[in-house]
Amino acid sequence: MEQNIELLLDNCIDENRKGKSVDECLANYPQYANQLKPLLQLTVQIKNLPLPNPSFEALSSALINIGKEMERDTEAKVIPEELVPAQRDVLQNRFTSPMKKRKSFAILSVFRKPKLVWALSSFLFFAVIFGAVTVSAESLPGDILYPLKLVTEKVNFLLTFDSYGKAELRLNFSDKRLNELVEVFQQSNKLDTTLLKNMLDEAKLALEENEIPVEKASILTAKLNHVSAYQKTVLENIRPNVQTTERKVIDEAINMCNMRSRWMRGMMDEEYQEQFDEQDTIPQSQTPRRERQQPKRMQWGPGCDWMR
Amino acid sequence: MKGQTKDLTDEELHQIVEKAKTNDNRALGKLCEHFYSKIYRFIYYRVNSIEDAEDLTSEVCLKVMKSLPEQNGLFYAWIFRIASNMITDFYRRRAVRSNVTSTGDLIEEMVDEKRTTSELLEQQELRQAIKHLTEEQQQVIVLKFIEGYNTDEVSNLVGKSAGAVRAIQFRALTALRNMFASDISIRKDGKD
Repeated sequence: MEQNIELLLDNCIDENRKGKSVDECLANYPQYANQLKPLLQLTVQIKNLPLPNPSFEALSSALINIGKEMERDTEAKVIPEELVPAQRDVLQNRFTSPMKKRKSFAILSVFRKPKLVWALSSFLFFAVIFGAVTVSAESLPGDILYPLKLVTEKVNFLLTFDSYGKAELRLNFSDKRLNELVEVFQQSNKLDTTLLKNMLDEAKLALEENEIPVEKASILTAKLNHVSAYQKTVLENIRPNVQTTERKVIDEAINMCNMRSRWMRGMMDEEYQEQFDEQDTIPQSQTPRRERQQPKRMQWGPGCDWMR
Repeated sequence: MKGQTKDLTDEELHQIVEKAKTNDNRALGKLCEHFYSKIYRFIYYRVNSIEDAEDLTSEVCLKVMKSLPEQNGLFYAWIFRIASNMITDFYRRRAVRSNVTSTGDLIEEMVDEKRTTSELLEQQELRQAIKHLTEEQQQVIVLKFIEGYNTDEVSNLVGKSAGAVRAIQFRALTALRNMFASDISIRKDGKD
């Protein structure tokens, strides 16, 4: 009996992994439902635990240790000084020809000079960092370099001081999250709701977090309209392949992108109308310059906020 | 698979391993990048601190790189075995395994701190509870639910039959459930 219940639990876990709910999985085994339900619910909780990911520093340090170890292995092949010349000759011939030996010793002598070693280590360190940052640009959530990608974005954002530049960066990040979402979906056929939320949040913050110079406000509005419309189209394209359990989420997101796009179009129309009215009523010489140059704080309308 | 990054096919992995065996630096780097986070997660649930997990993962990496020429058979089974042995050595060195093996310890801890069930269900608590399982139970739970391998794959990785893996899985989940159930009863008693 105990054997059976272990097998039944395993079958339920497999079915749950394929997308069935806990109750659907248990429907086939009503007599064991009471016993299996808490265990199955527990597996769902474990699966939903955030993945513990190692820090970038830990990986770098591991790579450095491996590098050092390999270097040590190379040095181990160098013949100890205390051996008598005859022994040295025999051992040296096992590894290298005399010409090659002289060259390899010349290279190894570099490692005996602390300043050179320090300079070389610094160069290697920065090369590793630069390489990791470059490679991380292509990484996806769950990849070891993905946290580095996010840190790079954050640093980039912190080093940007003008509000319009920050807004543009936000749009860029939103676009990246969308690309990642699509790529993850293509690989695993699963909708990553965290990426979806981040994509929507970044686009939201592009408008809200900054006071945009008035002359650039209309450009930002147009870009946001375009971004929201594009996000809506992409999400609509992947929607038919999304699992039924995730349909509600993607529908909400599509609806929100639609609302945002409409809201932006409304703002564009309003701005156009304002400009049109001003040209009609104010003579060119009396244009209230100071007021028009005030930075503009814009806000989303109802239905544009992600409530999850 | 939940914990997998960009999945390599068996063939791709085999090719990278073979290249790495010939000291191809790029292959070594790619291999390290591919298995590092898997090993880290595998170790994370079996030690008490992030620092220990990172140090041990680093040691496993070194060991894997050094022993790579001798590797044969299923690559992941091999590195998980190395990781498992190193965790055992780690606890032997520190002699602290005794304070994380017993489920009774956790229950006592719960009673002492009068935690509620809802708090227990918090993710951190669940992680801690997993750390209180036995070594083989932790292995199966992490490989099955964190790394996302199926029963047959876990069976290959840990070198046990599928039936044994199912039995370990059942016992592990029951032990975890009991930790929560005893908290519920403690809470009820408190109310009465």
